[in-house]
This record gives sequence, C-alpha cells and structure tokens, in this order.
Amino acid sequence: MSSGLALLLALIAVGGLYSATAPESTAQDTGLSVEAMAGQEIYENGCITCHGRNLQGVEDQGPSLIGVGEAAVYFQVGTGRMPLAQNEAQAQRKTPAYDDAEVNQLMAYIQANGGGPTLPDEEDLREGELAEGGELFRLNCASCHNFAGRGGALSGGKNAPALTESTDLDIYTAMLSGPQNMPVFGDNQLTPEQKRSIINYVQTLKETADPGGAGIGRAGPVPEGLVIWVVGITVCLVVCVWVGSRA
Amino acid sequence: MSTPASGEFPAGDARSGAHPGEAQPGGAQPMAGSPPVAGPGPSHAELAAMSREELVTLGGEMDGVRVVYAEPPVPPGSRLERRAVRQVAASFLGVTLSVVAFVVLFVAWPWQLDYSGQGEGFDYAALYTPLLGLTLGSALTFLGVGVVLWAKKLMTYEVVVQDRHEGASPQIERQTTAATMLSGLNDTGIGRHTLVRRTLLLASAALGLLAVVPLVGGLIKKPGDQLFRTPWEPGMRLLGLDGVPVRPLDMRPGSLQTVFPPVEAGNRSADAVTMLIRLLPDQAQRYRPREGQEGYRWNDFVAFSKICTHAGCPVSLYEQETGLILCPCHQSQFDVTDGAKSIFGPATRSLPQLPLDVDNDGYFVATSDFTEPIGPAFWERSS
Repeated sequence: MSSGLALLLALIAVGGLYSATAPESTAQDTGLSVEAMAGQEIYENGCITCHGRNLQGVEDQGPSLIGVGEAAVYFQVGTGRMPLAQNEAQAQRKTPAYDDAEVNQLMAYIQANGGGPTLPDEEDLREGELAEGGELFRLNCASCHNFAGRGGALSGGKNAPALTESTDLDIYTAMLSGPQNMPVFGDNQLTPEQKRSIINYVQTLKETADPGGAGIGRAGPVPEGLVIWVVGITVCLVVCVWVGSRA
Repeated sequence: MSTPASGEFPAGDARSGAHPGEAQPGGAQPMAGSPPVAGPGPSHAELAAMSREELVTLGGEMDGVRVVYAEPPVPPGSRLERRAVRQVAASFLGVTLSVVAFVVLFVAWPWQLDYSGQGEGFDYAALYTPLLGLTLGSALTFLGVGVVLWAKKLMTYEVVVQDRHEGASPQIERQTTAATMLSGLNDTGIGRHTLVRRTLLLASAALGLLAVVPLVGGLIKKPGDQLFRTPWEPGMRLLGLDGVPVRPLDMRPGSLQTVFPPVEAGNRSADAVTMLIRLLPDQAQRYRPREGQEGYRWNDFVAFSKICTHAGCPVSLYEQETGLILCPCHQSQFDVTDGAKSIFGPATRSLPQLPLDVDNDGYFVATSDFTEPIGPAFWERSS
C-alpha cells in the first residue's frame, strides 16, 4: 500500500516538474520566418486534421509531411489536390483552395520543418533534348500515363491522371515529390536536365497538331480500332440496308 | 420449251443421228445445250438487210433468249428524262470539280505543320490531309452516284428470259465433253512420259514440304537453355538507361528505376530488364521474402524482373504507396512487399527476383542471374 502511494507521489512530482521546465511551444521561439508563420496559420486551419499537429501525420488519414519539401506542397496544393474534398481513392485535380501567396506561405512552413525537395531555380523547364525526353518518358512514365500522356487506370479506383492540364512546374514537382502512388524520381535518378527533357517532350506532344485527321484522344490503337468497327461497320451496314431497300 | 429434243434425249441414241442439229443441212451448228434455230438460217443478203434490232432478236433466238419486257424508266423526251439527264450530268461535273479542287489543294494549301508550339491561332496545315481525302473521296462518290443514276433513271429496263434444259446435260454432250478433256490430257503426254510425271509429283511434294518445314521445324529444334538464363551474371553492375551504374544514394524511398546489365545493347535486351525498387521504410519493415530468397534484398532495395509471368508484358505500373506492381496488359497485380507475389489477375507466379549486393565502390551489383526462368510459362520450366 505504501509503495503504491510513493509511486503516485513520484508520478505527480515528475509531471509537475516536466510542465514547469518544458519549453513553451509558441511561434516566437520556433525560429520560423514571417512567411512560414503565416503558412503555419493556414496549416493549422486547413491541414492539421489529417496531417497532425506536428506534421507527423494521422494514422489512416494523412501521411507525415516531415521532409516532403516545398515541391510536394506546390504540387498538391497548387493543383488543388489538397485539401481533399472527401476521402476517396485518389486526390483529384480541382480549383486550388489557396491563392499563390498562400501556397508560398505553406511551402515555406513545410520546408522549414524537415526540409526536402525544393522548386527548381531556373524559369525555363523545357531546356532539354526532345528525343532523350521521349525515350525517358516511354521508359519511366508511359506505362502509367500512356505513351501520349493521356493517363490510365491503376488498382482500386486509383488512376494515373492525364497530363493535358499539367504545367511545366506541375510535372517537375510531381517527379521530385512522387505524389500519392507515383514513384519518386529524385535528382540523382533523373537529373534536372533529364527532367527538363521529359517536360519538353510532354509539352511538345500536347502542342503538336494531329496530322491526318481526328486523333480520337490519342488513346491508342485499341480505341481507334473500336471506332472503326463501331462507326465504320455501322455506316457500311446502313448503306447496305439502304441499297437493298432501293432495289 | 422450244426444244422438244433436248433434255429428253434417250441414252444410247447418241449415234443414231436423231439429233435435230445434225438433221439441218447447211444450218448453223447449235452450241452445246442451246436450242437450235428452227429452219434454215438467213442468207447473206437477208442478213445484210436486217436492222440492228432484228439482228439482236435473231441472236437472242439462236441462244433461246427472248425479251419479255423492255421499257425506258422515263418517257423519252419528257420533263422527267431531262431532269434525270441533268442529275447525271451534275454528278459527272461534281467529279471534275472535286478533282480540280484536289489538285488545287494539293498545290496551294499550306502543308507544313508548325511543330514549334509558338504559332498563334488555328494551324490550317492540320487540314491538309483531311481535305485531300475529302476531295478525292467526293470525286469517287460523285462518279458512283452518276453511274447509278444513269443506270436507274435513263437506261431501258428489261426483263429477259433464256430457256435452259432441266436436269443433267444429254448423254451425248457429257460423253463428248469428257472425251475432249481426256484428249487434252492425253496430248500433254503425261501418261506416256513416266519420267516427267514422276518428277512433277516429286516437285509437288517438295513444294508441300516447303510449307511444312518452318511450322514443324520450330517444334523440333530445341531452344537450349536460352529460356532459363538472362544476360545477368554474378558481379554485374546495374546500369540505368543511359549506362550509368546505380548507387543506393541515387534513389529516394518509394522510387523505381529500370536497370539493365552491362552487356552490349544491354538497355535493349528483352529478357534482362529489371526493376530496382527502393521500398518505403514501413514497407521495408514488413517485407516478406520468398522462401530461400531471404538474402536477395539489399537493405530496403529489391529488384524484380520487369517481364510479367503471365504473357510477358512489361509490368512497370508501380504504386509506391501500396507497393503494388500492375501489369497493363491483363491487370495482374504483384505485391512487392510479399516477394512480388501475384495477388490478382491471370499471372500465377511471382516475379523472379534478382539477388542484390553493393560492391566495394558503392555500386549495385547482381550476385547471380535470376534463379528461375523469367516471363511466361513454357513446357520445360519446373516452377
């Protein structure tokens, strides 16, 4: 009985001591810049539910954001994928909830906590070899995003989105950060030059006119064959029936 | 039936001279199976005096053909006829105009596409090929429409009947025809010249063999062990597409890199292509290797063959969060954290794993070839 009482007293003493000496978690002594502090405010309003108080993530709700870097923030928030509209298989691209300044503040806050991949410095992200970009795209990207960047299905309702709306910086930051189920392509795996080559290829592909008629979404030979079968054969049948009825 | 004799000609009577054709002195010999002309044919003077219509009728009669009904679809000289003429003429003019348009477009339309992406507004060169197709197609369509209109609206509508005998041809005709054909065969001399006949048969057999050899030959010739091995050998470095060896530091958690062996044209080799995957920390923790393959991983790195074990497609749809590798062809799924075990779809075997290590210079190396055949099943494979 006395040992139990001693334990209780010891616990109370330790607890009191801790609360007296533990550092106050105020913004002043976190060493954050003004921009990052503004970002923290946005974070605590919009992101904290799923990503946790200290960016450590919440089980079954959101991953830890420590070390993901500003590139991930730019991609996820800048394309409107975050904050999530609802819990579903995959975050969808939508109208961004925050404007550019707010995205920059969030980026500063996340970058200040654990670092991580940063945005590229140079403006022109298409300074690369077109042919090399095509080869790298077909090896690394085309299996999920389709050889013409039109996207494709993954497992469990997820999908690799089409690249038709992606800006240069979207593609760059996606490769750097590996959003959701996309593998990461760090700068040692695909050098910044190679990334620029891939972006040059993707964007050139999008801007090139379709020589020789309708591209049917460039979805490949199977849909094209389907169109030929369904539309072409139907037209042939209708003509046959018409010719037969006139005879 | 205008020919009472044909069709009812009794067998065995062939040589009796009862055929009506033979009974006509100086008459034209009738064609086989066709009814003969009754009475003696017209003389040269009579023929010369006949009009074209009469000649046509006479020719028809010789073949047992008669016109039952013949009428132009529209009254000659009527308004309807003039309209039909205008329609046909318009179609043929359409052909000419389309061809002219084709030539003009071919010469004058801008055809060089702007690939720079700098051009503003619509690129008319994109219409070059479709316009050529449209004008060429409309020329052919106009031609077809004109011909059909011509035939249906202007040409005389006729119903013509030709008498035919019933059943088989008369015995005499069958026997003479058979004799003619056999005589033709006999004239080739193939019955007498045995050497020619036999060498011809031999040549035919040889040609038949030519068709069979590639089909059967592939089944006879054994492929050796080439299905059981790939170019990977112990100590070989893992190269990226550009030929640069891969180091552990090059890859961040949750990344995948396609690697190739350092052999000639290695990044084009179909069976050595391998996925080097760096697992996420929690995936590395729960990673379960296949039995006997415990040492194949290197820390949180694993390497698997990129060739699907179902039909040999490249399986590189990697979901880094779920750790699933998807095959785009038939939706097979492999769980990387479970030794790339097949968990969904038609593939039944796990992806073969490449044993990994890091050499003294800090680059990834394979400690051996794949320890089982990569890719789809075949008869001789045991696993």
